Amino acid sequence: MAGSSSAVAGSTAPGRNPNRPKYSKFSQQELPACQPILTPKLVITAFTIIGIIFIPIGIASLSASQDVVEISNRYETECIPEGYRSTKDDKIQFIQNPQSNKNCTRTLTVPKHMKQPIYVYYQLDNFYQNHRRYVKSKSDKQLRSPGSESDTSDCKPENNANGMPIVPCGLIAWSLFNDTYSFTRNNYVSLTVNKTGISWKSDREHKFGKGVYPKNFQSGGLIGGGSLVSSIPLSEQEDLMVWMRTAAMPTFRKLYGKIEFDLQANDVIEVSLKNNYNVYSFNGKKRIVLSTANWIGGKNDFLGVAYITVGGICFFLALCFTALYLKKPSRLQDPSYLTWNTNPGPL
Amino acid sequence: MKRYVYINDDDSTKDLYCDNRISNRKYTIVNFLPKNLWEQFSRFMNQYFLLIACLQLWSLITPVNPASTWGPLIFIFAVSATKEAWDDYNRYLSDKKANEKEVWVLRHGIKKHIQAQDIHVGNLVWLCENDEVPCDLVLIGTSDPQGLCYVETAALDGETDLKTRGVIECPSPDKDIRRFDANLRLFPPFIDNDICSLTIKNTLLQSCYLRNTEWACGVAVYTGNETKLGMSRGVPEPKLTAVDAMIDKLTGAIFVFQLVVVIVLGIAGDVWKETEAIKRWYVKYPPEGQWYELLIIPLRFELLCSIMIPISIKVSLDLVKSLYAKFIDWDIEMYDPESGTSSHAANTAISEDLGQVEYILTDKTGTLTENRMIFRRCCISGISYGNESGDAIKDVDLQNAVSTSSPDVIRFLSIMAICNTVVPTKSKSGTISYKAQSQDEDALVNAAANLHMALVSKSGNMIEINYNGSSVQYELLDTLEFTSDRKRMSVVVRDCQNGKVILMSKGADEAILPYSDPGQHTKIFSEAVEQYAQLGLRTLCLAWRELMEDEYREWSLMFKEANSTLVDREWRLAEVCQRLEHNLEILGVTAIEDRLQDGVPETIEMLRKAGVYFWMLTGDKQNTAIQIALSCNLISPEPKGQLLLIDGKTEDEVFRSLERVLLTMRITTSEPKDVAFVVDGWALEIALKHHRKAFTELAILSRTAICCRVTPSQKAQLVELLKSCDYKTLAIGDGGNDVRMIQQADIGVGISGREGLQAARAADYSIGKFRFLKRLILVHGHYSYNRTAFLSQYSFYKSLLICFIQILFSFISGVSGASLFNSVSLMAYNVFYTSIPVMVSVLDKDLSEKTVMQHPQILFYCHAGRLLNPSTFAGWFGRSLFHAIVVFVISMHAYSYEKSEMEEVAMVALSGCIWLQAFVVALETNSFTILQHLAIWGNLAAFYIINWILSALPASGMYTIMFRLCRQPAYWLTMLLIVAAGIGPVLALKYFRYTYTPSKINILQQAERLGGPILSLGNIEPQSRSFEKEVSSLSITLPKSRNSVYEPLLLDSPNSTGRSLGTVTPFDFLQSSSRLSSIYSRDYKTN
Repeated sequence: MAGSSSAVAGSTAPGRNPNRPKYSKFSQQELPACQPILTPKLVITAFTIIGIIFIPIGIASLSASQDVVEISNRYETECIPEGYRSTKDDKIQFIQNPQSNKNCTRTLTVPKHMKQPIYVYYQLDNFYQNHRRYVKSKSDKQLRSPGSESDTSDCKPENNANGMPIVPCGLIAWSLFNDTYSFTRNNYVSLTVNKTGISWKSDREHKFGKGVYPKNFQSGGLIGGGSLVSSIPLSEQEDLMVWMRTAAMPTFRKLYGKIEFDLQANDVIEVSLKNNYNVYSFNGKKRIVLSTANWIGGKNDFLGVAYITVGGICFFLALCFTALYLKKPSRLQDPSYLTWNTNPGPL
Repeated sequence: MKRYVYINDDDSTKDLYCDNRISNRKYTIVNFLPKNLWEQFSRFMNQYFLLIACLQLWSLITPVNPASTWGPLIFIFAVSATKEAWDDYNRYLSDKKANEKEVWVLRHGIKKHIQAQDIHVGNLVWLCENDEVPCDLVLIGTSDPQGLCYVETAALDGETDLKTRGVIECPSPDKDIRRFDANLRLFPPFIDNDICSLTIKNTLLQSCYLRNTEWACGVAVYTGNETKLGMSRGVPEPKLTAVDAMIDKLTGAIFVFQLVVVIVLGIAGDVWKETEAIKRWYVKYPPEGQWYELLIIPLRFELLCSIMIPISIKVSLDLVKSLYAKFIDWDIEMYDPESGTSSHAANTAISEDLGQVEYILTDKTGTLTENRMIFRRCCISGISYGNESGDAIKDVDLQNAVSTSSPDVIRFLSIMAICNTVVPTKSKSGTISYKAQSQDEDALVNAAANLHMALVSKSGNMIEINYNGSSVQYELLDTLEFTSDRKRMSVVVRDCQNGKVILMSKGADEAILPYSDPGQHTKIFSEAVEQYAQLGLRTLCLAWRELMEDEYREWSLMFKEANSTLVDREWRLAEVCQRLEHNLEILGVTAIEDRLQDGVPETIEMLRKAGVYFWMLTGDKQNTAIQIALSCNLISPEPKGQLLLIDGKTEDEVFRSLERVLLTMRITTSEPKDVAFVVDGWALEIALKHHRKAFTELAILSRTAICCRVTPSQKAQLVELLKSCDYKTLAIGDGGNDVRMIQQADIGVGISGREGLQAARAADYSIGKFRFLKRLILVHGHYSYNRTAFLSQYSFYKSLLICFIQILFSFISGVSGASLFNSVSLMAYNVFYTSIPVMVSVLDKDLSEKTVMQHPQILFYCHAGRLLNPSTFAGWFGRSLFHAIVVFVISMHAYSYEKSEMEEVAMVALSGCIWLQAFVVALETNSFTILQHLAIWGNLAAFYIINWILSALPASGMYTIMFRLCRQPAYWLTMLLIVAAGIGPVLALKYFRYTYTPSKINILQQAERLGGPILSLGNIEPQSRSFEKEVSSLSITLPKSRNSVYEPLLLDSPNSTGRSLGTVTPFDFLQSSSRLSSIYSRDYKTN
């Protein structure tokens, strides 16, 4: 540097060093740490424990699922008169004709004792409630408060009918499922289906407003699914609430009602249903399902099977690792030398 | 362009030049927002995110609320902008402080107090002791009767008289701090002094401090941002690390992958729509769509997949990188108690590159050595002193010669005492201390004083010497300054006793010996030089000549004229000086020792073990450079090592030599032998100019190189050369001549040493001692690399995980581009849930510091891109795909039929992801401190707390969802299943690899944790520890008192840069004969 001459070199002041970094365990990266490594013992133990825990859980889940009694009956084809069954167009013509007789009777046999409450579901297959166009087509605001009646911008193309906002608007509400069921037991006793309390409490209290009444619903050019009684506020339209909890999968069940009565084995249940809902245009399926429930929910073997499988595999892995370990003790056991490769290959 | 500075004449120059307002600010309040946004948007990533965010405003295609992208985007921009604004505000504050500082100026003969920013060009500025110089001044007077003043970094000579009217003719502002070719003309012109030349020595540059001088007065010539300092202040290019480059590459790859996904799914979606969705009356597709109908589904997928590129990665990386830098600043083991300096990371962005260094280019003086010179030996008139004891001052023969007033010895000592720019100052107690421009001069003057030839004072042109108690006076007539081209300095003095005019010269042997009197035999001196050089001592030749009065007078005029040239002054001066410096009588040779810094050989050996290639670039002579290289383990002596010499004076010779060396290097295979090449500045110049390709190949093949007599720009060129071959270079140096190399290298390390802080300021890292380099590279580099590698890949993993789930969901939602997750969850997932636990990976250590230092070889695995390369990335990619499938399949099946409710299933899948990622972080963490546990498990708890809060708000879409889920045993069973199914295989695979194909690091981890001893065999660079013996065979004489710590070393003397005089012969055993020897072959890097 230019004329860099004399010198005020670093003044070495012994004793006090203002520049000396302060010591703390954090700043020196010396926080006490535990450094687990994957020893054979640890890993084999871990897998064994997973196996030991998972297999009992799996068995418990599976037996819980097996305890659930479920009666399922598919009816979308059977409930169409013989003459209309041959082609898809015939079926569509039948279902879309308001004049045709949609009444239908199905007979179910109870295989085992069913404890009340017995849940009545309808199951739809190949129905995409999660389609993007569909799932977005609703207005939470409109459902909640009477003042936001015209808040229908998300509801297209089911937002307006004859220039008036539809309540409840949107494709979901418009396509409301409208098959109805009634039950008789052993040919003479009518079974009452309790249709209250089938929706979520939170939906009744917060999502669907007490002062919101259906308006202009199903009054447009095209009739979709079921209609709503316009004198009942949305907060009491439980079928609508259940329907509007959209399903994540194209196969889903929705609660129709509850039978609060024990059913005995070999009881014969006769279901009188009205087959109103069109699933024929897209080869959908409809079922009626009667099921009990316990801690695991409805009948679903998946968790049990998955637990047993995962637990089994873990056991198997633990065994394999043990065998490998006994047969060929790992090289890690004697790490007293370490050769460094001069030309390490591509790592 | 010239500027005319009218001294103390406000009217003439006031408006012509800017005032002294300094502004380092990048922004103003008005332009901050647009300018900052413009800068941020010039980055590709940000443009991409902006595009995505804009697309999301189109409600037809957006799968989620636009807030989920705008939120993080604005947050990230705000963070960056705030950081910029904060930095700029601090700059503003320091500017303001400097601008508002009160200074004294002279106006119309009255001293006035004004603010520094109001100084105008031409003002007379009055400085008191310890004041900071507010702008570039031409010094016109000081309190010192000799017109001297001292500034903190420079002592400047000045004019004695205070003159108030005149004009300074000076060049337009530039940033060259070594040059100021100006003239001072006074009004009215004095008869004999109409033009007075000014040099850089007459200036006080901005930001220096006035020391040891009561007052000084100067004319402002450059003010504000036009000062030398202001002009040289530039924004350095931001450096990009290898990891950054890799991340960019991977981002590009992910981007391409994303486009493929979008195109495939987009087409599939359109096909499904045309064939299936059209039949589904409840979706109510209009029979006739808009013209853009076909674009909608692909665009939806583009938005859905946009989260593949993690928006948070840059912020996360910036954050952890600044923490790495803090760790370096805080490191107590890199604190140098001797100078009181701690290490400092000025560049916070490149820590992980420290672990990737492949070449270290090191300066010698002050870097490897202490730059503390001690006079050790001398050779006067053919008699060597100090050979026995290793200390000439204690040599009885010399003491006797002094006491008997042997004329040669007297003259020799006089030159030592006089021919320099040292300033003696007498303290009140009567002791004399010296302020020297160079360490060599300091050593010589002190040695002379110890030999009873003490420089007592320099007042005006009078020099007083105290010889054996009697005072001798000399009049200093002229100083022929040292430049790196001339490599010598001379003074012309008049002996006041007999009136003789004497030229005294000292300089490098090749700059003095050729100009000796033809009658004198110089062989004895060149032999002495050779001998001292082999001992690693710095040599200077001293010579003198008596001048005829006429000769001097004639020359003096030419000198004066050359001195006031405005153009090419330096060159003219050199030419004029040359006319005087001939027919010299050589008096002798001095040898000065510089010590190696503590721990230098160990550090070099360790880093060489780690596979780092060391190049030593020095301005020193070949022999001394080789000696130092030997003593600091840079090269091994025969037979382990072999030195190949590249020399030659012409293009042809250099080429042949280069070819020969290259051939030797090429054909030898990788035997454990140390081959290095030596090249000097002259040959290097030719090689770089005409044989760049061959030299590049050589550079790649050779582990070690010694480049001697290289200039600062050649140092930078070498860095450039290695960088152009795509090697990671680290340059380390301490002096101003290393600044260019430091700035050029990927990583510049400055040693805050005795040559000032210039290098340290320009560097990315500054450390107190060379030995801290090993900790910087091995510990900090290693950890930073590991941590960044994990963090960046993990960021991609978690983004891909959630994205794959969305893609899988699209297969069961009619390929319509629906999002499974709601906007809030998506945003929180990226910004909070997954970024916090991974942040504590900055505390992760795969191996303890001790192990890392014991096994420097593991650094090699950083070079190989062990932890971050396309294949490790593919592993993470596969893992995220696997985990996405696990989460998706399990949550869809466990929540099927009557439980299949969108919000619930989405939350199950999301919690599955959170659980999995907590365990993934835990599995990949090598050392758990309390903070890690807190972050990983605390984050999991925080996830539930946040979602419970959200579930408690009736207005949120998730109302009651989380409470419902947490009550179900099936939910917890699902979580457990996801964790076991997701982590189990990963754990098994990791264990299998760890146990049956362990990497070196795994073995070391095992040894460290289980306490087994471990020996490193087969170093990457086997080193001989017995060089000591070999060195002795090389040296002609070896002092008996020599011990291994106190090794005499040579440093670049100020007189040795440029070209060599001739071929250095004594190293025939090092010559690159056709002898074959092993080398470390190294393939060309191919990219």
